[in-house]
Amino acid sequence: MIESDLLFMEEDVELELAMDEIMNELIDEVSLGLCFEIHRASKIGTLFISDTDPKSSKELEVVEKPGLDVFGQAPTKKQFECICPNCHRHLAASRFAPHLEKCMGMGRNSSRIASRRIATNSTLKRDSDDSGPDHDDNDNDWTYQTDSKRIKKLKKERSTNSPRRNKFGKFSKNGGDIYNDRDTGTPEPRFDYDDMTLEERKSLLLNTCGVISEHTKKMCTRSMRCPQHNDEQRLLVRKTLLRSLNSLDEDIHVDIDSFDDGENQALRETLQWEASSNSSPADSTSTNNSTSSRKRSSKNNSRSNGAGNNNGSNRKKKKTNNSSSNLYEFS
Amino acid sequence: MADLQERKIKDAQMRATINQKLVETGERERLKELLRTRLVECGWRDQLKAHCKDIVQQKGLEHVTVDDLVAEITPKGRALVPDNVKKELLQRIRTFLSQQSNI
Repeated sequence: MIESDLLFMEEDVELELAMDEIMNELIDEVSLGLCFEIHRASKIGTLFISDTDPKSSKELEVVEKPGLDVFGQAPTKKQFECICPNCHRHLAASRFAPHLEKCMGMGRNSSRIASRRIATNSTLKRDSDDSGPDHDDNDNDWTYQTDSKRIKKLKKERSTNSPRRNKFGKFSKNGGDIYNDRDTGTPEPRFDYDDMTLEERKSLLLNTCGVISEHTKKMCTRSMRCPQHNDEQRLLVRKTLLRSLNSLDEDIHVDIDSFDDGENQALRETLQWEASSNSSPADSTSTNNSTSSRKRSSKNNSRSNGAGNNNGSNRKKKKTNNSSSNLYEFS
Repeated sequence: MADLQERKIKDAQMRATINQKLVETGERERLKELLRTRLVECGWRDQLKAHCKDIVQQKGLEHVTVDDLVAEITPKGRALVPDNVKKELLQRIRTFLSQQSNI
């Protein structure tokens, strides 16, 4: 019994040895496979392809120290600075947007504040900066009003390249420096469409909704079926715009020579102020307000229009355009 | 002396029969695959590869042969295999053999 047991044990040990042997064979086979792989890689030159040279690997070593990042630099807060394109002041990046809103007048409230500031600025500047009328059309890159309507209009104006436009740039705008160009947006918003010829107005009104917002004094640039405004409003705008052009001619014929430039400018300033005071937040919260205020503004519109363009040649040009206006009467 | 030789022959026979069974059933391939994955998992392969690179750099890229590599790598490979991998492999072989004897 003991002998057989011993024999059995012996057999077991033998089995263990055999299994060990088999296992070692397997391991050897795997390492042989690795050897073949390495040999092949070394012969075809791909063995050291993923290695970096010791110099750069030393440079790019990951630093593991508390308080430092992986590059071994202490974390510092870098303040990014922006330069305001308007007033050339240096500002922290986090303050840039609020500043720009105030400086250029893009927000709701700040637009009013800025427009007033720019208006006063431009009256001061107007006397000194009469030098550069040629830049008038070209420095629109930095103006804030970059909506599609304005761009389209600018393109149109450039392509037509009419003499009217050039004269307008010289006289009516009083020196096209940056300040004046910028203030076409808010303080004198009517100029955008007041200075257009009848043809331009018509083409604009044929394509867009064109209702002038009480609040922003800008035309609606959406299509004719824009949901924000109704047909009544659209009709009203078309009437006032086209009529103001007709009345312009009659009005101005009378007082064309009686006004001198300085007087006219003063008048225009006051009219601007009237216009901007009309758009106080109290009565302009909703875009489709009462029609009475609309009428009042349209009255202002024609008045300022008449005062704003007292240039002789300018008017003549408009008159010639006006001769064909009856054909395109919108109402 | 004769006893020892007899035992050796017996040993070899036993190994041969076990091997034959392993190959016939395809268990050998399965075991090898298992071993390979386990060795990759535990980093054995990377260790050996680094060692291989040292050897290649020592001998020069042009002069290294497979025999050189095998001679250097095989003993090191056996030594570097972790114990738990060895245990697992032996266990697998044992269960296989017990299943075979049952049948």
